[in-house]
Amino acid sequence: MKIDASKPLEYSTEENSNKIFGFWVFLGAEIPLFATLFTVYFVMVNRFANGPSGKELFEIGPVLIETFLLLTSSFTIGLAIHAMRHGYKKAMMFFMGITLLMGLGFIGIEINEFFTYVHEGATLQTSGFLSSLFVLLGTHGAHVSFGFLWGAGIMIQLWRQGITPATANKAFIFSLFWHFLDVVWIFIFSFVYLKGLM
Amino acid sequence: MDLDKFKVHGEPLIYGAMVSIALATIGILVGLTYFKKWGYLWREWLTTVDHKKIGVMYILAALLMLFRGGVDAMMMRLQTAAPEMKFLDAQHYNEVFTTHGLIMILFMAMPFIIGLMNVIIPLQIGARDVAFPRLNAVSFWLFFMGAMLLNISFVIGGSPDAGWSAYFPLASLEFSPTVGNNYYSLALQISGIGTLITGVNFIVTILKMRAPGMTLMKMPMFTWSVLITNVIIVFAFPVLTVALALMMFDRLFGSQFFTMANGGMDMLWANLFWVWGHPEVYIVILPAFGIYSEIIATFSKKNLYGYTSMVFSMVIISLLSFLVWAHHFYTMGQGVMVNSFFSITTMAIAVPTGVKIFNWLFTLRKGRITFTTPMLYTLAFIPIFTIGGVTGVMLAMASADYQYHNTMFLVAHFHYVLIPGAVFAVIAGFHYWFPKVFGFRLNERLGKHAFWWIIISFNVTFFPLFFLGLMGMTRRMYTYSEESGFGPLNMLSFAGAVGLAIGFVILVYNIYWSTRYMPRDTTSDPWDGRTLEWATPSPIPAYNFAVVPNVKTRDAFWAAKQDNVPLFEDKITKIHLPNNTGKPFILGVIFFFLGFFLVFSMWIPAIVAGVGVIIMLAAMSFDRDHGFYVPAEEVIATEKKLRGETV
Amino acid sequence: MIKQLFPIRHVMGYLASLVLSAAALIVIYGDLSQTANMTVLLITALIQASLQLFVFMHIGESADTKKELYLNIAYALFVGLVTIFGTLFIFVWGWYS
Repeated sequence: MKIDASKPLEYSTEENSNKIFGFWVFLGAEIPLFATLFTVYFVMVNRFANGPSGKELFEIGPVLIETFLLLTSSFTIGLAIHAMRHGYKKAMMFFMGITLLMGLGFIGIEINEFFTYVHEGATLQTSGFLSSLFVLLGTHGAHVSFGFLWGAGIMIQLWRQGITPATANKAFIFSLFWHFLDVVWIFIFSFVYLKGLM
Repeated sequence: MDLDKFKVHGEPLIYGAMVSIALATIGILVGLTYFKKWGYLWREWLTTVDHKKIGVMYILAALLMLFRGGVDAMMMRLQTAAPEMKFLDAQHYNEVFTTHGLIMILFMAMPFIIGLMNVIIPLQIGARDVAFPRLNAVSFWLFFMGAMLLNISFVIGGSPDAGWSAYFPLASLEFSPTVGNNYYSLALQISGIGTLITGVNFIVTILKMRAPGMTLMKMPMFTWSVLITNVIIVFAFPVLTVALALMMFDRLFGSQFFTMANGGMDMLWANLFWVWGHPEVYIVILPAFGIYSEIIATFSKKNLYGYTSMVFSMVIISLLSFLVWAHHFYTMGQGVMVNSFFSITTMAIAVPTGVKIFNWLFTLRKGRITFTTPMLYTLAFIPIFTIGGVTGVMLAMASADYQYHNTMFLVAHFHYVLIPGAVFAVIAGFHYWFPKVFGFRLNERLGKHAFWWIIISFNVTFFPLFFLGLMGMTRRMYTYSEESGFGPLNMLSFAGAVGLAIGFVILVYNIYWSTRYMPRDTTSDPWDGRTLEWATPSPIPAYNFAVVPNVKTRDAFWAAKQDNVPLFEDKITKIHLPNNTGKPFILGVIFFFLGFFLVFSMWIPAIVAGVGVIIMLAAMSFDRDHGFYVPAEEVIATEKKLRGETV
Repeated sequence: MIKQLFPIRHVMGYLASLVLSAAALIVIYGDLSQTANMTVLLITALIQASLQLFVFMHIGESADTKKELYLNIAYALFVGLVTIFGTLFIFVWGWYS
């Protein structure tokens, strides 16, 4: 493997920079994926049949906590990458750990929110609106959960192998994924929750 | 557990299919054991990460599916050959036309094209492999397992039966209570993920791994077409992913997306399906344009006319392909503005396509044309595809479409587009590149026989359908009365279908015959080719190029031959290659079971399989395999042997 | 060390995203028209998304793929927006009535 020392570690081999580029292309595919889910949601948003509407259902409190957690975790994963570029393994692991914990907190709140909805009789089967809501939020939540497992796997590799071209590359790609989830959440926050409560 | 839902009842035909599948499976297993080929199969094929072998497997799978889809087609034409035929009942007819469409588009045309691009693209751009060889294997096995999942539906549980477009509410649990459409949503989902990964892989490969000197505007036209196709794949397939997931939720978990009550909206399915479905048409047709461009240039001994306009017309087609989808449902109820908008965008696509047709004609003009088999298919493509295109413009006019909608006219139109636009292209490409992969040509005489059978029979089969459509015969009707007067033209169409089948039998026989008797070719450039794939020995060594070529012009190999510009200037050094791995195959098998368990709502096994998928992904992430090096001496020895010199 | 661990651009980006999220709350606590509300949501969301893309994801940092990455995102947004607005055009604004 040729290592190009003039570039950051995660870009340093041809394979590494291909992987980063490839992941960007994959994120490009995620944009129409979430756009389609938003399409479905926007078409369904007023079709709540006998079930509750968004205005009746949404509570701003938990949503704000979720938003804060995700925004902050996006910040800390960015810090982890900065620490990585300076070679601070411990600081990097620390920030990554914080990121994952906040992700876990986010998932916890979201699951709790789903339970509350179901408890109030608003389930996946109730109406077109609720189906689209659950699937949009659920797809984002599934991404976060997958990200949690993935990030944990990368942390194990970092801990064992240290910051190498391979692990740095993985961590950097993971950070792209995590930031992207934050972007999606911003749109959910704005156009599902805030618009619903408007 | 209720075993009844696994069974498919009915006809001797189905039982015959079951028995033949069982016999074929046993035959393959016994054969492998008897000839002690298990190890060979595992080492050389199931675990391979070599793009050429993966490409060959794609093409083999596509040929297999072509047979399956072709048998479906024959059954349909036989059933409608005469009024009141009793060959198939309505249910089986529904299943047969559904699987015919699904298999031909998603499991024949797509893998055939992906197979050709796997074999050829790295060679055309002077690369040693694709960007992510292991992911490439994952792509293949996901596609393959998806295809298998759909195919077993015929004998376990019942096939999807709501048309390849699976419109709701017909495809809902209420009106299609069998597991058929569960198979639809899951089989397509699994192979769709594979296709999406292929898309990412090839975009990175083409954009980042070209030989030094090959700028974008020096790429061969096939490479350009594949790049644009993969861009469409990456951005169109996620829409299908979502649509299929929603369908699965509706059918397995009782959600209300496409239902008729509780705020569901059945038309949303048609909408999402075609948001993906129309770009999908261009996914199978654009590579065909690339293949034809290569063949026309090679056999006219001329540079491709209008290279830049070819590229731009493809870029424009790729953008427009996302703006036309509503023309598939003009009659659904949207307003005049909507139909007008989509009508105009649809007709606009004819412009860049027309540009391409004229470019091909101008390339032929004053060329020294040799009429080889691939060239014949290409020449036949131009007029036939034009008929398909012109009838497409007729269909694009929203008000006129109220007459044509869902008639046999439409069926004739899309066969006139897709068969020359995809099938002839892959057959032409198959003949053209066959010697590159296997080191000998297919027999030209047999190839031309097959060609004439196929071309003439194609027109006999599908031209009558235009008239049947105008007479009022709707698509997907399983029988009709004598008074309707549809009989004679349908009989003619059936005769054509028989001719097509004969043509394909000759084509397959040609493969067998040529394998046995055709002389081996040591020049590695049998057609006097123009692009880099002909610059490496045939069959192609594992590392593709002993020395990475230096590209200075378009059609670099042609320039090298004409003007003696050296292509390979560097010394041979050791070459890095990836190791084989069994994980993609295992992942594919687990996905197959995950899909199967979900189809039958067997939750606990499905969860186990889901965990298995995550474990496999983790195992692939933790893998620290850096591949191996082929030493320079070994490369030199292989090169000498392949080029026919004694070591 | 602290400066290296907490680069100022990054911290500012984070604070900006918090402020923008808070600012968007005006649509439920304020008393604006429907149009004004939607404008606020669109603007805050778009700025935040760009913050992530440019400040956190460093989309412009790799010189050899910069152009491709922008094209990639542009094409993805084209398809995504066409899907959203095309569908709404068909089913909501342009529905036959």
